[in-house]
Amino acid sequence: MNELINEFLVESYENLDQYDSGLVELEKNPSSKETVSSIFRTLHTIKGTCGFLGLSRLEAIAHAGENLLSLVREGTLPFTRPIATALLATGDAVRSILSELEKTGEEGTADYSELVATLIRLQKPEAPEEESAPAPATAAAPAPKAAAPAAAKPATPPAVATVAAPAVAPAPTPAAAPKPAAPAEVKTPAKPKAEGSEHAPAAKVTDGTVRVNVDLLDRLMNLVGELVLTRNQIVQLAGTIESAPMQAACHRLNHITTELQDRMMKTRVQPIDALWSKFPRTVRDLARMCGKEIRLETEGAETELDRTVIEAIKDPMTHLLRNSVDHGVESPDDRRAAGKNPEGRILLRAFHAAGLVTIEIVDDGGGIKVERVKTRAIERNLITAERAAQMSTQDLVNLIFLPGFSTAEAVSNISGRGVGMDVVKTQIEKIGGMVDMSTEVGKSTTCRIKIPLTLAIIPVVIVGCRGERFAIPQTNLLEVIRLDKNLTVETVHETPVVRLRGNLLPIVFLDSVLNLKSGSRHEIQHLVVLQAGDRHFGLVVDTIHEAEEIVVKPLGRALMSLSCFAGATILGDGHVSLILDIYGLGTRASMFQGTRSSHTLEDESKSAAGKGAGTTFDELLVFSVGGTRAAVPLDMVSRLEEFGAEQIEYSAGRQVIQYGGSIMPLISLAHALGMRDTPSSDGRVQTIVYTEGSRSVGLLIDGVEEIVRSSVEVQPSGRRSGVMGSAVIGKQITELIDTHELVRTHASELFH
Amino acid sequence: MRALIVDDSRTMRIIISKIVKELGFETGDAGHGGEALDWIANNGFPELVCCDWNMPEMNGLEFVKAARELPGNEAMQIMMITTESEAENVMAALESGANEYLMKPFTKESIQDKMSILGLAP
Repeated sequence: MNELINEFLVESYENLDQYDSGLVELEKNPSSKETVSSIFRTLHTIKGTCGFLGLSRLEAIAHAGENLLSLVREGTLPFTRPIATALLATGDAVRSILSELEKTGEEGTADYSELVATLIRLQKPEAPEEESAPAPATAAAPAPKAAAPAAAKPATPPAVATVAAPAVAPAPTPAAAPKPAAPAEVKTPAKPKAEGSEHAPAAKVTDGTVRVNVDLLDRLMNLVGELVLTRNQIVQLAGTIESAPMQAACHRLNHITTELQDRMMKTRVQPIDALWSKFPRTVRDLARMCGKEIRLETEGAETELDRTVIEAIKDPMTHLLRNSVDHGVESPDDRRAAGKNPEGRILLRAFHAAGLVTIEIVDDGGGIKVERVKTRAIERNLITAERAAQMSTQDLVNLIFLPGFSTAEAVSNISGRGVGMDVVKTQIEKIGGMVDMSTEVGKSTTCRIKIPLTLAIIPVVIVGCRGERFAIPQTNLLEVIRLDKNLTVETVHETPVVRLRGNLLPIVFLDSVLNLKSGSRHEIQHLVVLQAGDRHFGLVVDTIHEAEEIVVKPLGRALMSLSCFAGATILGDGHVSLILDIYGLGTRASMFQGTRSSHTLEDESKSAAGKGAGTTFDELLVFSVGGTRAAVPLDMVSRLEEFGAEQIEYSAGRQVIQYGGSIMPLISLAHALGMRDTPSSDGRVQTIVYTEGSRSVGLLIDGVEEIVRSSVEVQPSGRRSGVMGSAVIGKQITELIDTHELVRTHASELFH
Repeated sequence: MRALIVDDSRTMRIIISKIVKELGFETGDAGHGGEALDWIANNGFPELVCCDWNMPEMNGLEFVKAARELPGNEAMQIMMITTESEAENVMAALESGANEYLMKPFTKESIQDKMSILGLAP
């Protein structure tokens, strides 16, 4: 029975994804018979199966929805917005019952009688318009009044579509063109060849596909990874043996392993539609909240990506899309005034190019006002006016990705927004991707993301330093140069640089960053020119070894927080080597302090010559707590969140809050610093979310004041636990909080 | 004896297959009418087809019509599996060549009853 329920859950979740996008599609194109049949079938199948599984509550809801839909299907009822909203709410209700079923094995006790009543009421063709509003609160679906221009904001964010997705790809709509995708996950029944019927032994349908558990695929992938490593070892060993048959066997092994790895990779890919199919709903709900009309179109939804990559781009893509709806597309009135179609359009496009996947989010809105971006960036001290004057439009637009750029917005609308576009950029760069914006004033904005196909196996170059070997991902590597008398290290404002083709390139010595002391430096060293995002810097190492394809092994939990390393791998000779995280390494070596924008090498040399590259900047989040001004380094802040005071609960004598599906402990910063608590006046509490590894803790503060970027010198201010010292920021004394120590003192059970 | 289970829901196919297997059948399955016709082309006629009504690509009624056009199909019995809301369609299916119908949700006993009417179970 259990197996049956599991099958039912997986199948229903798959169908529900199609159900949502089907409904949104139907809103645009109400006459599509095929779409209405497909969504009808979803409810019909769920209802039909419920009878066998004894799920009477679910059956009742599906039944009411099915009845309403059958009237639409027969053409008795026109497909109206109230109906669409009620049916979307039905999908949500079904989902929450399913997830309850998944968790507890029971249907749960949530009350959906109002939803059912709405579904029944809508079956009467003359249902008055205003009845569209009362979609039940339990169904968590926004129910804006259809005609009212100022749509009431529902209490819940529209991200309801993120209900526990099944671990497998949704099956393609049967009507869609057969996708060449993921044979193990997408059910594309193979057309059996015309064999003679004498070949029919047992009655087993000749099905070209099987369903495979994703865990198993992951484990297989891991094994293939091990095989690749062993192959590398054997190939290396075989190089030392003079034997023709051995060489031939090695060659074959090499070939087969590569092919196996390649095919294995293919079993893990999913069409990007697995992610995109959730977006029509997100866009619809958000657009209606903003009082906008937006049509979402997709191109290249069949483009395939490794599922881990799809998982990794989910948040940044959602953020970008919401941004397009919120800020990109103008209101219908503005669009009319500009002579455009009042209905805006957002296009999602994906395609493969040069071994990467490119994803574009294009809106036909008013574009980004470059002058405003420039002014704001200067106001916020992100760039100097002189620099701004020299920057191209393209570079100026991309200033929006700077940390601290979108803070005004973040502070006024903290919840669900995080710190801004820089988070998106960081998330994408973390998986070796790139993101950039381009805009055409009055016409469109395009956000382009480029990401690798997979994260599991990457090409690297092995470098040596003080007898140790490290792997550098090829995506970060620009060139390798021998440091000799033609190229020497100079110092400009205490920063070591080299002159490379007339430009100054800041450099870092790997041994000093990592504090490697054993052995001695080679007499002749090498310079590896690296790129992290759009910053360039040079890394000085002793030796350059071979280029290899390596299998990334994640670091253990204890080492996870080391920002300099992205993982480990086993080399051909069996030695373990750490993979350098170029971004983390650069940060550690203070390469990215100060403005981080599209510094070209020319920019570097100009600024080095002009005002001194040695000026250090720190980014600090300044806030008030217990009536005092305090600050934390911005890189200690993973998010800013606002909660209702009533959301705070107590568990084991500690304040906690439900956050992102788990329970996050809260620390009252005022208490921790021995100050008095200032009760919140408006019933809202502000928190700084601090994350280490997989643990998060919320620090309660009074309110965010600003983000500053200045060369701050910390002055010791008596010994107080959790305080680094104080500094003068914006002419005011500000306490600098040592988050690391603070959480260890006050939430020691979480971080030790 | 062999039974072909035609339903677009995997869960439904598992449920029906289980019951039919207990009655001594080997089973095959298909996701819609078109796949069912392919199955027959490859494996020959089964003794019994349990066929859902509402399916993508080719629905139950279209399948019955197409299957009854095939030469040599006479010995194959077709049982339509429907829900109450589709009851009115049952007549059309029976006229087109279905032998029996079964209403969801059904029990093992109700299938058995219908099958003994068809002479496939004691």
